[in-house]
Amino acid sequence: MSRSVLYTSSPLLASKTPVWRSKFIVAVVALGFLGLAARAAYIQVVANAFFQRQGEVRFARTLELPASRGRILDRNGLILASSVPAPSLWAIPEDVDRDPVKLRELARLIEMPLAELNKKLEDEDKSFVWIKRQVDEPVARKVAELGIKGIYQRKEYKRQYPEGESAAHVVGFTNVEDQGQEGIELAFNKDLGGKPGSRRVIKDRLGRVVEDVGEQIPPMDGRDIELSIDSKVQFFAYQRLREAVIANKAKAGSVVVIDSSTGEVLALANYPSYQPDKRQNLSGEQLRNRALTDTFEPGSTMKPITVGMALEAGRITPQTIIDTTPGRLTITGSTITDTHNYGVLTVEGVIQKSSNVGATKIAQRMSPHEMWDTYSALGFGQKPQISFPGAVSGRVRPYKSWRPIEQATMSYGYGLSASLFQMVRSYTAFAHDGEIIPATILKNDTRASGVKVFSPQTATAVRKMLQMAAGPGGTGMKAQTVGYSVGGKSGTAHKQVGKGYASNKYRSWFTGMAPIDKPRIIVGVMVDEPSAGQYYGGTVAAPVFSEVVQQTLRMMGVQPDLSVKPQVMAQEVEESF
Amino acid sequence: MTRLNLVLLVAIVLSALYLVHNQYESRRLFMALDKAQAEARKIELENDRLQVEKRAQATPSRIERLARTQLQMRNATPSITQYVQYGGNAQVDGAGGKP
Repeated sequence: MSRSVLYTSSPLLASKTPVWRSKFIVAVVALGFLGLAARAAYIQVVANAFFQRQGEVRFARTLELPASRGRILDRNGLILASSVPAPSLWAIPEDVDRDPVKLRELARLIEMPLAELNKKLEDEDKSFVWIKRQVDEPVARKVAELGIKGIYQRKEYKRQYPEGESAAHVVGFTNVEDQGQEGIELAFNKDLGGKPGSRRVIKDRLGRVVEDVGEQIPPMDGRDIELSIDSKVQFFAYQRLREAVIANKAKAGSVVVIDSSTGEVLALANYPSYQPDKRQNLSGEQLRNRALTDTFEPGSTMKPITVGMALEAGRITPQTIIDTTPGRLTITGSTITDTHNYGVLTVEGVIQKSSNVGATKIAQRMSPHEMWDTYSALGFGQKPQISFPGAVSGRVRPYKSWRPIEQATMSYGYGLSASLFQMVRSYTAFAHDGEIIPATILKNDTRASGVKVFSPQTATAVRKMLQMAAGPGGTGMKAQTVGYSVGGKSGTAHKQVGKGYASNKYRSWFTGMAPIDKPRIIVGVMVDEPSAGQYYGGTVAAPVFSEVVQQTLRMMGVQPDLSVKPQVMAQEVEESF
Repeated sequence: MTRLNLVLLVAIVLSALYLVHNQYESRRLFMALDKAQAEARKIELENDRLQVEKRAQATPSRIERLARTQLQMRNATPSITQYVQYGGNAQVDGAGGKP
């Protein structure tokens, strides 16, 4: 059947192959090589960049290197605000493993009612839902240990404020995106923030980084901000203020402590306050940094300034006789009254007794222009040069529009407005040998130099009057404190309501300094609408001043300049037995 | 000639294998370094967190409360404080003395 043919004798071999066939094959193969070469050239030369990029996309990744936000420290390096890791929990509802035991455990860990958690996971259409943002690290770790499928964590940071409500208005707070919203957090947001860096890496099949490629941009961490605040003074001032506001059934209060040599703000507290890290149901009342953002008529605390400028201009001496009888004075139809008829007083007596008529008569020896110049030099009507959001300028009208009655009322603190902070700062002119110094919220250990407003003699004379005002027979006797000489002026200002003044609403002030010969600190206290019977600055604000001065000087290590009555010690020792 | 070629072939194969090994080793070490760095950062953050926690335990309000309630302490006033001057020619008994 089979007809096999030997290869050697195959008739096909005998047939003559046309030459073109072999040439054709060679040509085809050559063409193939040419195509390959062209493709190689295209990939490696012409479109090189494109292919490089495509390759990189498949294994190279850019990782962001987060920068941590700087801390806020007090003058002794204690932390007032710092960022800590606080992972946020999120879920893909569809994927969540609904094991009731585990979910109950999760709800317990994040302190969320189970019903609320279930509600969040209910909507299966959503592919992303926050369960809880910024939980504490240890909690997040425990959640991770539960290993519930479909629940993920995102790295985030949250600010912690160990000092809590006492320093809330100074430090401020950040929002959930780590951006400053209030206080120092806002004012120095840029410095604190830092700049995130990035690096380009090659990752392997399992997502592990195996190599750095290209340039690394290292993250720039935020700068730490060192404040002039002393957290102990701050806490103490806040605590005493709070007690006074509550005891006097007042609406609010503020206290400011300034170092009179360096101009550093040692404490700045307001009540009501808030917890910076628990900010639910926050009201504007709590949020306001009253000491800087609210301006009021300062009342009698202005009188030392009136006297200071008249002394400086040489119109009076501390012993000049001012007749205040009969305790009232009528200027162009308006009557200025004192609470009592003080009769004939010296200039010192005018301050000591806080006579409105006396202050008016002193002011009448000055021209509006002179008064306005001094007010401006002391920073009234201008925004304080302090790196703080929301500081206001207060109001002093241009002197050309002053009527005689206005010039008179300004001498005892009505018809112009200032914040407590401005008021305290203006007193640096008396404490710092006649120079008004710039106040700073940042640490600065060098003695500040300022602008000369009064001569050192004037400053000394006014300090003596302030001491008398806070001494026996003065309005501010309760400002006295054990061991330290103090001087200061109380103020009780009627509150302006609508167009007139409310007869039963007051604002109590006390501004003063200690020790009086060589002042180290200036303290200002303001209590808004005390309504528990007492409303004089000398009875409401002065006790706060006294305690704050006592504690602050003790913490600063200032030696008492008054001899201390030993019986106080004896009594106290007996008590404690 | 052929022998030389063979030697070179072996050399190049060895070199290539060595290169692969080195690349592998370098990536492995890099991974370890990266992991250590991540760990360092984590520890740093943990340190920050603990610092804040420590501080939160030592706030003036807490100290004052504990001092008053648990230790029955009270505020120091100048009347029960003895002030000591230092520097100058302060004489301290026993301790110190002149060099």
